[in-house]
Amino acid sequence: MATDLRISNISKIYPGCIANDNVSLQFKSGKIYALLGENGAGKSTLVKILSGVISPDNGEVFLNEKNLKLSSPLDAKKNKIGMVFQHFNLFETLSVFENLSIDATEDNKSLRVRINEIFKKYNFSIDLDVPVLNLSAGQKQKVEIIRCLLRSPKVLIMDEPTSVLTEQETEELFISLKKFCDEGILIIYITHKLKEVLSLCDEVAVMRKGKVVSVSQTQNEKVETLANKMVGQKLAKIKKKINISKNKDEIFKVKHLNFYSDDPFETNLVNLNFSVKKGECLGIAGISGNGQNELFQILSGEIITPNTSIIFRNKEIAKLNPKQRREYLMAFSPEDRISQAAVPELKIYENVALNNFKASNFFEKGLVNERKIKDHSKKILSDFSVNTDNVELKSQFLSGGNLQKLILGRELITAPELLICYNPTWGLDVGAINYIHETLIKINDQEKSTILISTDTEELLKLSDRIAVIYKGKLSKIMSSEEVTPEKLGVLMGGGSID
Amino acid sequence: MSLDISFIGILIGSIMASSVPLILAASGELITERSGVLNLGVEGMMIIGAISGFALMVITDNLFIAIVGSMLSGVIISLIFGFLTQSLLTNHVATGLALTIFSIGLSAMLGKNFVGIPGKEFPILFSSLRESIPFFGPILFGHSIVLYFAFALPFLTNYFLKKTKLGLVVRAVGDSPVSASNQGINVILVRYCCILYGGAMCGLAGAYLSLIYTPQWIENMTAGRGWIALALVVFATWSPIKVLIGALIFGGITILQLHMQAIGFRIPVQFLSALPYLMTIIVLVVISRDSRKIKLNTPTSLGRIFYKEK
Repeated sequence: MATDLRISNISKIYPGCIANDNVSLQFKSGKIYALLGENGAGKSTLVKILSGVISPDNGEVFLNEKNLKLSSPLDAKKNKIGMVFQHFNLFETLSVFENLSIDATEDNKSLRVRINEIFKKYNFSIDLDVPVLNLSAGQKQKVEIIRCLLRSPKVLIMDEPTSVLTEQETEELFISLKKFCDEGILIIYITHKLKEVLSLCDEVAVMRKGKVVSVSQTQNEKVETLANKMVGQKLAKIKKKINISKNKDEIFKVKHLNFYSDDPFETNLVNLNFSVKKGECLGIAGISGNGQNELFQILSGEIITPNTSIIFRNKEIAKLNPKQRREYLMAFSPEDRISQAAVPELKIYENVALNNFKASNFFEKGLVNERKIKDHSKKILSDFSVNTDNVELKSQFLSGGNLQKLILGRELITAPELLICYNPTWGLDVGAINYIHETLIKINDQEKSTILISTDTEELLKLSDRIAVIYKGKLSKIMSSEEVTPEKLGVLMGGGSID
Repeated sequence: MSLDISFIGILIGSIMASSVPLILAASGELITERSGVLNLGVEGMMIIGAISGFALMVITDNLFIAIVGSMLSGVIISLIFGFLTQSLLTNHVATGLALTIFSIGLSAMLGKNFVGIPGKEFPILFSSLRESIPFFGPILFGHSIVLYFAFALPFLTNYFLKKTKLGLVVRAVGDSPVSASNQGINVILVRYCCILYGGAMCGLAGAYLSLIYTPQWIENMTAGRGWIALALVVFATWSPIKVLIGALIFGGITILQLHMQAIGFRIPVQFLSALPYLMTIIVLVVISRDSRKIKLNTPTSLGRIFYKEK
């Protein structure tokens, strides 16, 4: 039976923010629908309303012309609306089977039979009796999907499902979703990744600031047109002028960097040697988990390795800790914004103060000079166009993009000679990515250097002057980015060799 | 010194009796904590159970009413905690501490007129078998019904948590209340039930002290057992069977060191008094070393306030 889901004039207002402003949309089974928008555009609010987690202030939802009252997640379940959340809604310490059986109405035996049927049908295979915390992100997502499938859903909503998946897992997911769609399940796919929309979905609705700004067939769209709709303005194309001059000074030089760890989850690094020139961006490509984490921590001084020589501005700094390295005008932007770069529970100005220097006088005789820190923070917020001017705001309430701008701002306002960043645009939307990229290019224009460790090849090709690939803790030879192509990088990242 | 076999039997029997309140209170608290609620009011709920059980016994002269009443009074005290933490979203730790302080005061006030009144003998089961079988007699027979219940409780708790649907729901709520709520589970209701159950068990543990173990009312007669029960739950890494082991070790060493003091061992009394605490912690830490198991048994959301998105 065909399914027809209609959302009519939904509004949801939070204090100080209109999350959904009169949203109306229509979906029919047999197609995959994309709901596209930047972080904070109101997509998640809409799907939370559809799944009964929150109730709208206004508006109605119709399923096959029946007016649904969705006042709790149970109502959504009863009406066969399944939902896979961005942050998994699983019980980590319970086994896979317990997770699946918690809301089942049948007995355990017949449930196992049904789960195995689903496994066979869609080529899934997961050990049912291991605790969920032992699963990979892709497997966890499958558990979520199976949980929905067990209730034979009419509608399946996927909220940013690929943000935690590897490329392989993403492909598998797409194959499954297309199968579900063929079987008559209506699929709503929420994302901010443009390419996924084009490769997977049939129809796309774009949301911006709580409103639906466009509904169209994906075949009529391109990455650029969708991006412009999503951001609401023409995005400037960014491409850096590659700048390799042989006679510039080497500002940073690493020799004999070796790292050995007993922890099976860490990667050993084998004899890395490289240098960075003044005003240059050195890109380090690689699939995540090939030693980038360890490399970043060694470069920033979190890990000190013996017998390594790191020369920075003609001084040996290999034995210095991060704070001492900062005093020599190095700056760092780690991958994990929430837990490594900033403390989410602290206010913005407190996070700024964490990065304190002798010269900045944030502390006097052991007391906090609040006024000075706040002035300094305000300058960062305005210089780096963070979307708030309230330095008292807790950092956790900043979106990913704004938090990254704040972190970069904090690092850059001291005019460092070298910035080392690791996946600076991870999980951000197009607008924020563009801003960060422009900022990083600007640094190089000012004759300051950067080391960009990134898993995003496109970003590396856009920003780097020279690129090396890290694979299983070993660094490839360093290439000028004029001679590098995405294909070459791909081969090296997969462990192959070129020429 | 008569270390004959029947003496050892009697000794073991008395060790079992002394560990009953710990087993009851800790098993109750274990369920509460497994749902993600940290109730530090165990000592308070126990002392209220002790005084209300004793008072009801004196007033009604009916032990059944006294036992049931003590459990109900534990429930009422825990209801205050539940209302504050689940409905008014107060901090679990502070609320639990306040509850204990409040309850100790309240019990002293209520118990003023009951000091010095002798208790009533609590019926014991199979008393003839106790005398007729050497060694095993005093261990297995001649105890109150509450003791048999207490020793069955950790196994029942284990079965409940691992094998039943409701147990699964309790663990799920303790693991991730947000996910549970999104699955349509009424998190607040589940947590209320677990808090009230914990209250009932603590009330019963208190009544065991004032009606059976030392049948009388003395101010502050729980003497820190509630805190030991709380510590047992944590050191037993939320496993009911390990709670039982811990309670027995604590009870055992308490009794043994009393005997040692009586015999006059040349070890400082202070050290002997501290021994049960030290040994219980050491043993439980040693048997709970498996970090993977700890992770699986620990209620991830313990002590965190949950509220529903609107």
